[in-house]
Amino acid sequence: MSAAVPAHDSAHHDDHAHAHPTGLTRWLFTTNHKDIGTLYLFFALAMFFLGGSMALAMRAELFQPGLQYLNPEFFNSLTTVHGLVMVFGAIMPAWVGFANWLIPMQIGAADMAFPRMNNWSFWLVVPAAILLVASFFVPGGAAASGWTLYPPLIIQQGISIDMTILAVHILGASSIMGSINIITTILNLRAPGMTLMKMPLFVWTWLITAYLLIAVMPVLAGAVTMLLTDRHFGTSFFNAAGGGDPTMFMHIFWFFGHPEVYIMILPAFGVVSAIIPAFARKPLFGYASMVYATASIALLSFIVWGHHMFTVGMPAAGNLFFMYATMLIAVPTGVKIFNWIATMWQGSMTFETPMLFSIGFLCLFTIGGFSGLVLAVVPVDITLHNTYYVVAHFHYVLVSGALFALFAGAYFWLPKFTGNMYNESLGKLHFWLSVIGFNIAFFPQHFLGLAGMPRRIPDYALQFAEWNMWSSIGAFVFGFSQLLFLYNVIECIRSNRKAADNPWEGADTLEWTHLPSPAPYHTFETAPVVK
Amino acid sequence: MMDAFRAVFWSFFGVRKKKEYDKDAKTLSPQAVIAAGIVSTLLFVLALLALVKFITR
Repeated sequence: MSAAVPAHDSAHHDDHAHAHPTGLTRWLFTTNHKDIGTLYLFFALAMFFLGGSMALAMRAELFQPGLQYLNPEFFNSLTTVHGLVMVFGAIMPAWVGFANWLIPMQIGAADMAFPRMNNWSFWLVVPAAILLVASFFVPGGAAASGWTLYPPLIIQQGISIDMTILAVHILGASSIMGSINIITTILNLRAPGMTLMKMPLFVWTWLITAYLLIAVMPVLAGAVTMLLTDRHFGTSFFNAAGGGDPTMFMHIFWFFGHPEVYIMILPAFGVVSAIIPAFARKPLFGYASMVYATASIALLSFIVWGHHMFTVGMPAAGNLFFMYATMLIAVPTGVKIFNWIATMWQGSMTFETPMLFSIGFLCLFTIGGFSGLVLAVVPVDITLHNTYYVVAHFHYVLVSGALFALFAGAYFWLPKFTGNMYNESLGKLHFWLSVIGFNIAFFPQHFLGLAGMPRRIPDYALQFAEWNMWSSIGAFVFGFSQLLFLYNVIECIRSNRKAADNPWEGADTLEWTHLPSPAPYHTFETAPVVK
Repeated sequence: MMDAFRAVFWSFFGVRKKKEYDKDAKTLSPQAVIAAGIVSTLLFVLALLALVKFITR
């Protein structure tokens, strides 16, 4: 991609022209997309460590059979809030952080389309997180029904459920505003010559993700509002005694929940599609087919929700429909995997940390995809439903999928964000400890699930002891190795290892070719002309 | 309009020839592709339902 304006023109002349607030007010009132991106990323990192601590508490309890450290109610709350915090507090805000930083720079825009709404979107997620965390300290403890909030369990608990429902509402409002902002920015603020089919794939995947968010977040809001009225206003949407149906909640929840999986993974596809070509020093193989496949995955994600509920007693025809649809969604996903491999084929590859995490993503996400196909087969799922096999499957998709891509993206763009290079050896150590710890933690969970160990239990029968011990050891290695990432990020921000404007030989998007490192506070006030 | 459906069909598979793609990029409007995408998804659902009906008859 090339542009008609000389590099760095329009990039940094305005840095000192007008002062912007400093200290706390800078972050509180900021409308700058980079500041808001940074806020989202640090918030997500904090939530990641919070959710991770909950996971380690659970793995400590599960290290041996019997009840050691946690009472069962608290264990259930940890399971629930770990899921909610990781999905809504860590992965999603982290992607929004990347979107804020990168989308304007990658399309040659000066900022997001609605900067004040952008500020509001971020500052809404903070009270939501506080509500979730505070719900641990109210009578009855935090929500304990699992992150899916299924009735009737969810109807029976105390005020923490209302806090969780309010948190979900606020997070949904924030996501919808963020999505409106992203769609408007991409469709209206692209630099001259930046046609849709010239946009970097990260921008494409986020455009499609934003549409998914707008489509499904109101559905979740509707579902939790019905829960709220069932709890407090005498309705019986999900109460069989009053003529309602608890399985209706599952249908509504998973109509949101399955596209939600793609909301978390599509931006990961975008990041990996930026990194693999850069380190293979080849253009992305099949750019157009990647865009098509992303759009297809998004459309198909609306018609597969029933595979989460094969065991609730749907008619055989319903089960068959969702089984076929689920298997077919693997086709465009498989095409993406082939395209990334074809991009690497005969490339001049080097293996810096972003590339390592991208290759880790590619291998391990594929395992998650395959175990998803196993679970798509109705008779198999009826056996494996609610076992640790499912836990293993979705952690392969969301940890080695979404999270590894987040790490890849963080290492890749840290030089642009901070102006400094991160410590490469430490980054590689972080990768290897993560990949080894992760696999020791989660691969044995396939065996546990196949052997019949149910998920969401604080105690288990003796025959599951050995693999649980290994899983806990792996989880602690994986968990504590994340401190290396934290150290590396802080050290990078404070270090003096100045990064080149484009430290990666093969990176060719506008933020690398037209902006210095670190990217100045205001960029592209005059839009570049893309040829 | 048929060209839009053809492009969407290949998008479900996730593959498109470079020559055909270049032609699409010149001739197809985004509105036509989106409309064809939604109609094709509905047709896809109906086809799956027909298959299910056939198997469970």
